[in-house]
Amino acid sequence: MAFLDNSGDIILDAVLTDAGRARLAKGDGSFKIAKFAFGDDEIDYSSYNASHASGSAYYDLEILQTPVFEAFTNNTSTMKSKLVSLTNNNLLYLPIIKLNTVGTSFAPTDASNQFGSGSHVVLVDSTTITAVKAPIADGGIKTGVIPGLIGSADNNHIRVDQGLDTNEISPALILDPELKETQYIVELDSRFGKLYDVSNADAAGSVAAPSYIDDDLIASYYFTSNVGNYVKDSKPGVATGAEADNGAQANFETINGPRGTNLRFGVLAATDLVTSTYLFTTIGSAMTANDNNGYYYIDSTIRISGVTTGYKIDIPIRFLKKQ
Amino acid sequence: MANTFKTFLNSDIANVRTLLHEAIPITGTIVSGTYTGDGNVKTFAHGMFEAIYDYPYLSSSANHIVDITAGYSANSELSAASNAQNAKKINIYNQHAQVLYGYDVTGSIQEFDQDGDINAGGTKMRECFFVNFSRLLTKDEIKKDSFRLALFATSSDISSSAARTHLATLGDYGATTSYKVNSPAGEYGILYTASTDSANGLSPQGHVYYQAGIAVITASYFTGAFGAPGSPATDTSGDPAYNGLISKQIDGQLTGSTITQLADGFRYTWHNLDFNNTTELNSTIYFCRANTQDYNYSANPTYLTASKIRVKNNNPKAEPVSYITTVGLYSADNELLAVAKLSEPLKKSPSNELTLRVRLDY
Repeated sequence: MAFLDNSGDIILDAVLTDAGRARLAKGDGSFKIAKFAFGDDEIDYSSYNASHASGSAYYDLEILQTPVFEAFTNNTSTMKSKLVSLTNNNLLYLPIIKLNTVGTSFAPTDASNQFGSGSHVVLVDSTTITAVKAPIADGGIKTGVIPGLIGSADNNHIRVDQGLDTNEISPALILDPELKETQYIVELDSRFGKLYDVSNADAAGSVAAPSYIDDDLIASYYFTSNVGNYVKDSKPGVATGAEADNGAQANFETINGPRGTNLRFGVLAATDLVTSTYLFTTIGSAMTANDNNGYYYIDSTIRISGVTTGYKIDIPIRFLKKQ
Repeated sequence: MANTFKTFLNSDIANVRTLLHEAIPITGTIVSGTYTGDGNVKTFAHGMFEAIYDYPYLSSSANHIVDITAGYSANSELSAASNAQNAKKINIYNQHAQVLYGYDVTGSIQEFDQDGDINAGGTKMRECFFVNFSRLLTKDEIKKDSFRLALFATSSDISSSAARTHLATLGDYGATTSYKVNSPAGEYGILYTASTDSANGLSPQGHVYYQAGIAVITASYFTGAFGAPGSPATDTSGDPAYNGLISKQIDGQLTGSTITQLADGFRYTWHNLDFNNTTELNSTIYFCRANTQDYNYSANPTYLTASKIRVKNNNPKAEPVSYITTVGLYSADNELLAVAKLSEPLKKSPSNELTLRVRLDY
């Protein structure tokens, strides 16, 4: 995309996204603009120089000179970081969403793991689950390796935590309710997988239903506090005692400061990955593991966004299938 | 409660309709075959019309601009089974007449009425040239009183000393207030050679159908020689049969020439064309209002360092600041339907308010 001409008046370059055009083409009334948000994708706030010698008028000079791209029509390529409305203007800290790497059942694989290389790995069928178990010394499904079938004994999953990730504020303090995330959007390529409730995996309806699947086959799931077992309040740290210093580690929490909620979900392999190698051979790759077996894999990402705070995090994930 | 989305109120959405006009000039050099060697004029084996492009039509850069064809009514005095492509010429005439002029009460195709006053009877245009403009040029319609087609009434190298003479500009003069509405294809204007013709009782020379993007020119406009340069359709000698009868040459061409040859001859009479097209834009304007308390913080990962806001410089009392580069328009279920980009970042803080006006045209 080219840059917009910023030499004259401020203009707006507006386009429908591909998803917008698809809804318009459906003609079923689903193209209805109901709300708006502002984004600042191009802005690098580290350019803000609050100690500029020439004074406050120069603090944001570099930011204001940032050239802006033309609009992308791909709905998933833009609005990656949104502006947020908060009633309190005196906040110095804002919450983030962070991948939990502490708990053994939801941390990703080690960077040295031959299958995952630091990402979560979804084993798409029982053959792969059996094969991958063998080379793992402890005989079980290793940390970060998620069985992609419901009914597997293991319930490894993905968890992200939300809160103020700072050592300057005690985790024993309560997060300002305005900053507490209560709803998350999880986006995943629907060709590869589905999400399910790990706390209730065997129950009917444990597989989550996406709110919609866009034109690029990206499925969007909404998870809300007090609806299902996906969003839970994180446990606060302790103010005193031995755990005060390493409060983040206690109770498998990963946020160092005041905590909000956490989101947890399992990943199931999509039927196409279970029954066919088409997607693996088309958009995936192949490798030979230490057990001398060949494996197909597809690397993708799961995007998690806080609906309230707008914060986003992309989590790498690998779908693995034994050849 | 923190928020990233703001719902539009009814007062934040407005619908407007705008007519956008573009000037379309088509010079005679293009139509008469600037790219003759490379081929910007496309002919067809069926021989029903010629297509003119602005560039050699085999190139992907070429745009189709106009089709030219000719025909006459079955009631024309010129119509005869022995004529070249007699059936096709009648077919072309009928095709245009039924679409542009419709049927009478008996279900018969109406012939083009010269002054557009069908009920009053009067002269019919039974031998016509049809100039069908591409939708690329006319868009939704041709703007009234903007159509000006400069044509030579005599154009052939038969009389080589004056290859093209008697230039006049056919136009829908004054059509803004005098266009006709009795066509099934929409509105049309009457073409005269000058704005004073109508007042002076001079005959119209054709019609221009605004929404259909078609000009119908009566063959009687051509009073002298008629034929493509160097290859007059029915006279290869450069002389003679038409000496003394030159005013009748168009009749001879209509009977003896193919439609393609007639279109070639018409192209050579083309001096210039100018009209304005019209695009009807239906727009929805969304007023995206950021009040003093709105959008002063950002979820941009660079906004924080260890969860601390950079732009506050360790001072909680400092104003939060954010910079807007993008406006996203969402459905109720948060799918991004449209996106607008600002040409430069806009600073937002509690000390200012912004209203960004996003217009979507359909």
